[in-house]
Amino acid sequence: MSDTPVIPEEPIQKARHPFVEAWEMFRRNHAAVVALAVLVLIILGAIFGPILYATDPFEMVWAPFSPPGVDGYLLGTDYLGRDMMAMVLNGARVSLLIGLAAAVVSVVIGVTVGALAGFYRGLVEEVLMRITEFFQVLPTLLFSMVIVALFGASLPMITFAIGVVSWTAVARITRSEFLRIRELEYVTASRASGVKNLRLMFKVILPNALPPIIVQSALMVGSAILFEAGLSFLGLTDPNIVSWGQIIGSNRQYILDASFTVTIPGLAIFVTVLAISLVGDGLNDALNPKLRQR
Amino acid sequence: MSETENKPLLDVENLTVRFEVSRGGSWGKRSYLYAVDDVSFTVKRGETLAVVGESGSGKTTTALAVARLVPAYEGAVKVGGTDILGLEGEALRKARQRVQFIFQDPYSSLNPRQRAEAIVREPLDSLSTKSEAEKQEIVDRLFAAVGLRKEQQRLFPHQFSGGQRQRIGIARALATQPELIICDEPVSALDVAVQAQILNLLRRLQAEFGLTYLFISHDLGVVQHMCDSIAVMYMGKVVEHADRLSLFNNPLHPYTAALLSAVPSVDRARREATRRILIPGDPPDPVNMPKGCRFASRCPVAEARCRESAPDLRDVGGGHRVACHLVDERAVSPLAALT
Repeated sequence: MSDTPVIPEEPIQKARHPFVEAWEMFRRNHAAVVALAVLVLIILGAIFGPILYATDPFEMVWAPFSPPGVDGYLLGTDYLGRDMMAMVLNGARVSLLIGLAAAVVSVVIGVTVGALAGFYRGLVEEVLMRITEFFQVLPTLLFSMVIVALFGASLPMITFAIGVVSWTAVARITRSEFLRIRELEYVTASRASGVKNLRLMFKVILPNALPPIIVQSALMVGSAILFEAGLSFLGLTDPNIVSWGQIIGSNRQYILDASFTVTIPGLAIFVTVLAISLVGDGLNDALNPKLRQR
Repeated sequence: MSETENKPLLDVENLTVRFEVSRGGSWGKRSYLYAVDDVSFTVKRGETLAVVGESGSGKTTTALAVARLVPAYEGAVKVGGTDILGLEGEALRKARQRVQFIFQDPYSSLNPRQRAEAIVREPLDSLSTKSEAEKQEIVDRLFAAVGLRKEQQRLFPHQFSGGQRQRIGIARALATQPELIICDEPVSALDVAVQAQILNLLRRLQAEFGLTYLFISHDLGVVQHMCDSIAVMYMGKVVEHADRLSLFNNPLHPYTAALLSAVPSVDRARREATRRILIPGDPPDPVNMPKGCRFASRCPVAEARCRESAPDLRDVGGGHRVACHLVDERAVSPLAALT
């Protein structure tokens, strides 16, 4: 053996970022790609719609129950003669915002609880998982109704109420991933390198636990939108904002006379949640390494 | 050998590691599995001690306990005279700089989300207070030292072959300029051709940096190539501890003899000279250890006293230590009587 080190002959691969690989897997799921396009359209509509279509959604613009396309109103008018187009566009903002913010709230709570439980195990895990189970067995809609009823129906409170009842799935997934990953050799290697616990949890283990958490969070945006729709349908909403659920709720008495007033926002919810679910499904394909070899 | 080389760097005394095993649900009686039971050995500075044994003999647990990666129940691990088992906080971080670890499986010991340079830099980031420029310089030097190219620093682990991955693992272990490196079967997951490359690299680095190795292995061929002395473990106990030549030439414990006779050889004369010693049966239940010698149930020459009391590890001359009732001061293998 000579003194010079053996330089391995293998050609150097190009540094491909994991995100590039994930996108290539995502692209194979055609439904998810279509859903992503739809979702982007919806998001663009929510951002720019109210600017381009600058009708006040609270203003009475025409006679009530004007059907879509008649009298120059593309989506018609509701029971107070308000422009449905303006309401749906403005409602998209609120619904998407609440969906996203509630998902963030539940991911933050869920990841923290799951990470602590899975990392420290023992008594910490025991206590945190019992708390998680407590939240799991609560009737979620009822519990969030109680929170909103007690603390007022403001936008942040509604977001919080939705987030606080839906973090349990994230916590369980995070915990199970942590339990698996903490036993892997590279975590032991990081401990041998003197990496401190907090960094070990959030810089070493969490990035490797992310794929299933991302998928779950994506799906949670959809369910949070549904949740918000449910709450505002029941009237537990800020009367000064428009959301899709609220449009359905306020028009529900006229469902037989002017069904379009509930169908249109209902369709908006349906398409959005479906798109989010399909994108979540595509993310699952893209981020689940076990499917990579197929 | 010079004077400085002869001082022991690592001195493990009566190390015991036990794991709780629950039998019969959470209300059942607690029992303990002694994975490492009262193990003592020393490694001289600049030398290599191999710990050999079959799967489940506790050799990896010993390595992890020495590196403070598994909590020890009893005993002392002295590195350069200081017991590192009691250290916490800053003192432990100092000790970690001196003791580093090379892992068995290069496929699971590198974080898949980190680039190679970040993996090698990790010990520096968390153990040293060097500046970014200094760290980068050290990483550059380490990549060169283990035979990797500078362009490869930006790659992710899955873009490397097994041997290259193990080189990254070795570079990481060298980052803090440790004195002791614990190698936990560093080549057993690699192809034979790559094994030789990595073993030669380890030897070269040992000479270059004056490293001391605690080398865990089950492959006696590898051990013969690498080490100065050997400790043989069986069921959590060291049964024989000697320098390489006296262990390979005169294995005293029946288990060691059986282990050595199992090494395949292409040399026909040697193959015929060494009779294959078969050891029947299975190892005892690790939770309910027999009170006598742990090898007694499989030993071809066991006597009544072997089942009654456990033999201590004692010196039978020339630093050759063995834990067997049947070996006396004359240092003759008890199996010699059989042939």
